[in-house]
Order: sequence, then structure tokens, then C-alpha cells
Amino acid sequence: MRYASCWKLPTLAAASFVLAAATAGAADFPASGKAIQMVVGFAAGGSSDAGARILAGGMEKVLGTKVEVLNKPGASGQIGYTAIAKSKPDGYTIGLASLPGIMVSCMDADRKAVYTKDSFQPVALQVVDAGVIAVPANSPYKTLKDFVDDAKARPKKVTVSTTGLQTGDHFSVLQLQKLADIQVAIVHFDGASTAMTALLGKKIDVYSGNVGDILSQLKSGDIRVLGVMDNEENPFLPGVKTFKAQGYPLLGGSWRGYLVPAGTPAPVVKTLSDAIKGALENNEVKANLDKIGLQVRYMDVAGYSSIWNEYAALVKDLIPLSKQ
Amino acid sequence: MDILSNLLLGLSVALTPENLLYAVLGCVFGTLIGVLPGIGPSAGTALLIPLTARLPPTGAIIMLTAIFYGTQYGGTITSILLNVPGEAASAITCIDGHQMAKKGRAGAALSVAAIGSFIGGTFATIALVCVAGPLTQVALEFGPVEFFALMVLGLSLLMGLAGDSMVKALMMGAVGLLLAMIGMDPVRGAPRFTFGMMELLDGLNFVPVIMGLFGLSEILENAEKKLSQSVGAEVGSLIPSRQEVRDSAAPVIRGSIVGTLLGLVPGMTGSMSSFLSYSMEKKLSKHPERFGHGAVEGVAGPETANNAHANGALIPLFTLGIPASPTVAVLMGAFMMNGLIPGPFLFREQPALVWGVIASFFVGNVILVILNLPLISIWVKILKIPYSILFAVILAFMVIGAYGVENSIFDVAVMLISGVAAYLLKKFDFPMAPIVLTLILGPVMERALRRSMEMSQGDISILFSSPLAVVLLILSAVIIVTSSLKFIPARKWSGGGDAEV
Repeated sequence: MRYASCWKLPTLAAASFVLAAATAGAADFPASGKAIQMVVGFAAGGSSDAGARILAGGMEKVLGTKVEVLNKPGASGQIGYTAIAKSKPDGYTIGLASLPGIMVSCMDADRKAVYTKDSFQPVALQVVDAGVIAVPANSPYKTLKDFVDDAKARPKKVTVSTTGLQTGDHFSVLQLQKLADIQVAIVHFDGASTAMTALLGKKIDVYSGNVGDILSQLKSGDIRVLGVMDNEENPFLPGVKTFKAQGYPLLGGSWRGYLVPAGTPAPVVKTLSDAIKGALENNEVKANLDKIGLQVRYMDVAGYSSIWNEYAALVKDLIPLSKQ
Repeated sequence: MDILSNLLLGLSVALTPENLLYAVLGCVFGTLIGVLPGIGPSAGTALLIPLTARLPPTGAIIMLTAIFYGTQYGGTITSILLNVPGEAASAITCIDGHQMAKKGRAGAALSVAAIGSFIGGTFATIALVCVAGPLTQVALEFGPVEFFALMVLGLSLLMGLAGDSMVKALMMGAVGLLLAMIGMDPVRGAPRFTFGMMELLDGLNFVPVIMGLFGLSEILENAEKKLSQSVGAEVGSLIPSRQEVRDSAAPVIRGSIVGTLLGLVPGMTGSMSSFLSYSMEKKLSKHPERFGHGAVEGVAGPETANNAHANGALIPLFTLGIPASPTVAVLMGAFMMNGLIPGPFLFREQPALVWGVIASFFVGNVILVILNLPLISIWVKILKIPYSILFAVILAFMVIGAYGVENSIFDVAVMLISGVAAYLLKKFDFPMAPIVLTLILGPVMERALRRSMEMSQGDISILFSSPLAVVLLILSAVIIVTSSLKFIPARKWSGGGDAEV
């Protein structure tokens, strides 16, 4: 409703004219020949960028207009998020968002973001890379319980890696500490490969990360996965129990979806969300995302918004803890 | 057996049409930089990093390393034809190379130099392959603790790169560390030295800083000088006589060994290898009086040595992630720009990339011989471009390059500021190499240290808990002590002046 209320100041005639134009704009969105810009706050060539480009191609077919990817990398996505928040709420700018990263930038005062979580309107979820906890194949921990028990017996001695500060896997370790009432030594690496090398070299005891990053070690039999953070069993990890089933309902992994600036008319948001759905149903798009190891999971505006709000509460809670 | 299968894997990567193209491009650019007396290898490599920003990592590294060793070939051309060294490592070649040219044997001198360079470069690459194979076995031994010790070793090299004044080198090292601190703290997430600028949250982008420090400052310095533009000698026949081939054989073998060994030693530059090889050949020769009057040994030995040195200097980079010279530090920056930290783990994580790049050295050395001999006349023509035009083109290229890395105008400002700052610092004889070394190694070292601290929950004794780490730390102490010796005034050392920076 913010869109309409902005225009209360001018004369009634002008206001109604603008309103009419806005409604008309929503009805024939997207105008033919007008390109939609997709802001990606990560460098070209990375996994986030690759997934967005594949989706953009699929959306073009559904919407019948160009969807151009614009990379604005930097500050862990914050430069891109700023660009989305500041863009015109007309649906012609849509941006990639990665949870929990974007929520951290909204909530961590140190990041000095010019936007808040309310500056965005969630559109749709595209991909989930579920969180996992893994140990070397010859680790004494056979189950999640073994790990938790040992961590309880030796507080702050069991080392657990993350792929970086305030990443999804950092937050999952923090949640597990809370839920299981344990204290571990959290060791921050930069990226999955350095953390995995340390795990395989027995420099750390437990690895916290995403499914997408551990598949090759799992296949070669070097590691064992103790649990997956999801509501259901993961297709890539048959037989691995969820954390929920083992008594720790925690929210983990990395969730990639799309946003528009708040104030974008609801019908436009719906059109975009449906276009993403349509694109993800396209077999070619699906096959290409599969090729780069991304597991498609579409959620509509309502579904994605509820994940968005769940993360808002979680991140707000954990930010003080994430800084030790 | 293992080595062979690794090499085959490497060749299968290096010989794809795409990667072959990158190797060719790298060799062309490298030769070009070598030919142009105004730009040295570190400046040239820094300038060309943005060209590779959009390439896949394997292609980018293949191209940049080819630029790096390609410069050693190009420098020879101007030394022989013009009596002007294209870069420092070929300076010694002027003495006999240009004399040969005056006698109409320029073509023969170029051939001997190119073939010697090929043999030297290949020899050093074989050495790299032999060392790298076993090293990958211990990759998993390197955890945060060992990594920290390794980085201490790397930073102790600062002393080797110090040049004439240790105080100035240490000051520049500290500046590099300060610049490296900019951005978000990797453990607590607090912004450091960002002055509220969002662009600085990720830290300074390495490429524009390097471009400014090495590239822009060098262009500014050269713009002040009067660089004479002379017309070269005639190339003549490229085929060396039987006598020349016979005289060259032993110097080429000795040059390969000298260059590879010195390349391994941090702080040694290619010019030292070529100089050592020259004086060695002169001493060993039965006719030392011929030196200075066009002795082919005086071309074959040094030219082989400086190429063996260039490829040899890549051994510590690939196997340990330690840059032994400023130019290699620039190369290491290029690795890191692609999210790769060179070292034993890279062999484990990205075998196709690492072995592909190593195999490309063999390919690149072949390409360089082809580029340098039949196409020699093209390089001679390039020398006729007036510097006023050349420098303007390079400047424009630098601005585009700095912008292009991340489509950021902020980076252009970073490049210009670092360039002007470096230019002024050089006026006061401050060396640039320590800045790059600490700028690159500093963050890696900080992370390793803080990771170790996280593992032990603050107990510092963890740093000495692994035998490997202790050995590395002792080695660093030895390097720091021995390289400090040269600053004791009573024993003034002559090897301090570093021509590469």
C-alpha cells in the first residue's frame, strides 16, 4: 500500500491519474520490449550467478521479454542488495537474495546497511542447498548423538568448522549449541574447500556446510554425514536422517530466492513469481540447474515470505552470539 | 608413474584449443612486455591481470604465467638488436649479444638465446614436476597451524626483498599489512578502516592496488625520462654455425642448473641468475678474452639461466604458496583473485587446474620459440612506436582494466591513488615489493593465526604443537637472521640492489 500512499500529496486528480497508470502498468506487466533487470550481488561466474542466469533465460521464455543479469558484486552481496532496495518498485528490477546472508546485512548494525528487511518484497524461492554436519569416515562419531555427547563431556574442545563468519553453517552450529546445550570450538574458514581440507587432514573434528559442497567427498567415502538440516530426507543423501528427526529442529543451509523493492504492486509481484515458477518447470532449465548441482525448490510469495520472517527472527537472535 | 599420469592429465587440460589460445596470448603479451624497455615484468603482469578477470581460472592462470615467463624471452630481442635491455634479466646479454649483432650474427644470437631459454625453462618445469608430485602427498598435513608457520616463512622473505634499506622495507611491509587489514574482520565481523564506505567492506581489491603500485608508477617514472628510440641492427640468418652450437651446449646446461637453483631462493632475481651465469662462463672459458667481443657463450648461458630462473621461481609458489620475487607475488595475487590459494592443497583440490597450468609451461616454452624466431621482424617493428603514444595507450588500458575487474569506478580511484602514491614513494627510494608481499600474505596469515586460536580457544602453544610447523618456524628464524647480516655495515653486501622492482 505504500505505493499508493506516496501519492496522496498532489491533487486528487493527479493522484487518481497516477493510480490509474499504476494499475494499468500492473495489468500489462511486463510491457513488451521493456527489459527486466536482474541484480546479482555476486561475481559473474560463481554458483549464485550461474543459477540466476539459467533462471533468467527461463523467465524470458515465460514473460516474452528480455531478463538481463547485472552483476554488482561486493560486501557479501550488500552492494547488490542496496541497488535492489533503491530501485524503482515497478517490477522491472528484481534481485537475487541469499538467506541468511541478506538478513545478516539487514540486522547487523556493523554492516551499516541503508536498507532493512522491510525494504524488500520476497517474490519466490528458487534453490535450497541444505545444511549438513559431516565427520571424517573414520571418526569416532557414528551418529549426531555421539558428537553431541562428546561436546557435552568436553566443552569448547571439539572443533567445528564453518565456511565463513555468519554463513548459514555458522548459524546452524550456533543453533545446535543452543538446542543441545553444548559449547564447541568454532573455527571459521573461508569457503568450503579450505574447511574440507582441514577436516580430511584431521585438523578439525566436525564440518558444518552445505550438501552441494560435500558430494564428491561423500562419493569417495572420505566422510560421513551425521544429519541433514531439512524437513525431509535429501535426494542427494539417501538414508541420512534429518536433524529434526534426531531431535534438533534447526534451520540451516543456504536459500536462494528473488526480491523486488517493497511497494511493488502485488499483481506485478505475482506475475514475476509465476514466471519463476514457469521457468523452473521448464525441463531444460531444470537440467541445467541440476548440472551445476543446484536443487530446485520453488516457493510462492507466501511460502518464501514465511521463510524470510523465520530467518529474520533467527538471525536477530543469533547475531550477538555470532560475534562470540 | 604417478608423475606421468599427473602430467598426462595436465596436458589434456593445457592442449584444449581454448587453453592453447590463452597460452599463445600470454606468450605474445609477455614477449611484448619484454620487448618494451619501459615496462618491467612485474608492471606488465600487474597491468594485464584485468585482461584475465573474465576468463575461467585455469585459462586465467595459464595466460598470466605465460606472460610472466614470456617477458624473459622478449627482453633478449632488444638487448641483442638495440643494446638496450628490455628488462633487467637480459641486461648482461647486451655485452656479447650486441657485439654478435654488430658482426652480422644477430640472428644466430637470437636463435641460441631462444633455444637456450627453451631448454632452461623446460628444465626448471621438469624440476617443478618432480618436486610437486611427492609434495601433494603431504597436502593434508597442512592445517591452520602449519599454514600460519608457512606464512611466517613467507613474510620472512621480506628481508630478502628489502633492497638497500631495511628500515624502508619494513615500513613498506607495515603499509601493506595496514592496507590488508581494510575490510570486515574475518572472525568477529567488525568493519576495520572502512570509514563508513561500503565499497571497503570486502577489503581493497587487490588488482587495482597492484596496477597502481607497479604499473602506473612505472609509467609515470618513465614519462620523466628521455628514452632513446634507436633503430635495431639487421637480424641476418637465424641459423647458428656448427661452432656456435658446440660452444653453446655446455653453457646452456650450466645455465639451466644455475637459474633453476637461484629461482628457488627467495629474493634472488632473474638478473642475478643471468649475471652469475655470465661470470661463470667467462671463468670457465678457455678464451675469456673473447667475452665482450661477441662470444656466443655470453648469450647462451645468461639467457638460459634467466628463463630457468623464471620457471624455477614458480616452484616455491606452486608447492608452498610462497612468492619468491615481486613478480611472482603479483602472480600469486592473480591466483587469489580467482579464489585459489597456491600451495600443496591446491594440488589436492584442483589437480586438473594445477597440472594443466604446469603442463602449459612446456607448451608455452614451445610457443615462445616459435614467436621469437620466425616472427622476430614484427617485434622489431613494435619498437618503432613512439613512447608518447604507447604510454597514452597503456594508461587508457589501465583505467579500463581497473574498472573492468568488478565494474567499479571506485577501483579506478584506488588504482590512480596507489599509482601516484607509489610514484612519490619511489622518489624517496621506498621499495614496492614489501607492500605486495604483506598485502597478499597478511590476510592469509591472519586467518591462519585466528583459526589456530579458535581451535585451541586462545592457547598460543598450539602454534608449536606440530613438528612441521616448528620446522617452518625455525627456517624462518634462520632466514631473518642470515638476511639481516647484509645490513651490518662492516660487511657491505653487493647483491642488495634489486633491479627487478
